[in-house]
Amino acid sequence: MIDYEFFKAPSLKEALEFLGSHEGVKAIAGGTDLLVDIRKENARAKGFKYLLDISGLKELKFIEERNDCVAIGALSTHTMLVESPVINKHFPLLASAAKTIGSTQIRNRGTVGGNINNASPAADLLPPLIALKAHVKLRTLNGERKLPLDEFLAGPYRTNRQSDEIMTEVCVPLLGEGYFTNFQKIGRRKAMNIARLNLAVVLGIKDDTVFDPRIVPGAATAYPIRFGKTEEAISGKRIGDIDPAEIGERASEEMISATGVRWSTPYKRIALASLVKRALETIFREAKANE
Amino acid sequence: MKASFNINGKVHELEFAPHARLLDLLRDNGFTEVKCGCREGFCGACSVLLDGELVNSCMVYAASVGERKITTVKGIGSIHEPHPIQEAFVEAGAVQCGFCTPGMVLATYALLQRNPDPTDEEIKEALDGNFCRCTGYVKIIDAVKLAARKVKEND
Repeated sequence: MIDYEFFKAPSLKEALEFLGSHEGVKAIAGGTDLLVDIRKENARAKGFKYLLDISGLKELKFIEERNDCVAIGALSTHTMLVESPVINKHFPLLASAAKTIGSTQIRNRGTVGGNINNASPAADLLPPLIALKAHVKLRTLNGERKLPLDEFLAGPYRTNRQSDEIMTEVCVPLLGEGYFTNFQKIGRRKAMNIARLNLAVVLGIKDDTVFDPRIVPGAATAYPIRFGKTEEAISGKRIGDIDPAEIGERASEEMISATGVRWSTPYKRIALASLVKRALETIFREAKANE
Repeated sequence: MKASFNINGKVHELEFAPHARLLDLLRDNGFTEVKCGCREGFCGACSVLLDGELVNSCMVYAASVGERKITTVKGIGSIHEPHPIQEAFVEAGAVQCGFCTPGMVLATYALLQRNPDPTDEEIKEALDGNFCRCTGYVKIIDAVKLAARKVKEND
């Protein structure tokens, strides 16, 4: 049994004060990952003395379009992403990814900030948010800092969050003209599905030529990262000259060069290649239809 | 710890352990229509509505929900005055052992509140967190469709 004290934060200020004045605090938002870890006594959930419940902080529940970005409050739920007209208009891949998470009950409780801070290698929001070059805002009693999401992540289930910080929002820069996005996921079944592999692709197409490609597989490496070599292979190329199947193979090679051959590699090599192929084919088809 | 909880429209002063989940609070105080299945947020048997939103009560701390409205399956209809959704589940033969039924009925209720005319695909999505190990879902989906018709007729 894990022993801890429970404290419900009535406001962000009081939550920050609590974090600033206590050691061994674990923050809990929707609890959909943490409560399972606590129940199973997973190592990840050990070593804290206080559980700080921030789920009631309404000020961190919002989705808002600003001049150059969409700001998503850290306590926005997955259901909010699925239903938000702003998200569906600007970042449909984020809504698609949120839709595949857990179940209705879990999407109603689980939060964007929780998905990021739990930092599971299979987190469904990480690949799309990294591909969209999202930034996260972290606040303490004394100030605030903003950093790119890929710099915030430090490893599987590890982040660069300091113990006195709370993530307040995620800023997703608006994509300019000519961008296409796609999200892919495979798991054992449709409902309550933890990704075996997922994938976010964001890229621009102008005059039939690819620019600014961003390819981010999830559950492929220790934590989701951009696949730079695969991106290079399509950047500046005409879409008619790109063979999606070959780019898929290339992504699998890039995965294996990062992870080495593991027990899951015979499966993931083929599966990732297929996901990349599927995503590129879908985007190229959309681009053709858009002409 | 002690706090007041609004359950099915009535305020109750209840005592609970600081670590207690909402599921335990409810069952320890006689709301045994909320079923305890997996305790890991997987099966949906312990589903309740929190301010009208479907959640797994095993995944929520009792101490976390003080001010919010909690609805169990008994909050939407009773044996003498069943809700049309409850009637539909009986008429469609969607109840076998009955363990998943409270959660299924509440998931249906939450769905029809938002979407009175769901497609098969939308029904499957809305009920994706509720597991049934008896009927195989076909009759449950029939029941949701029947319920949608009944609710519309009642309006």
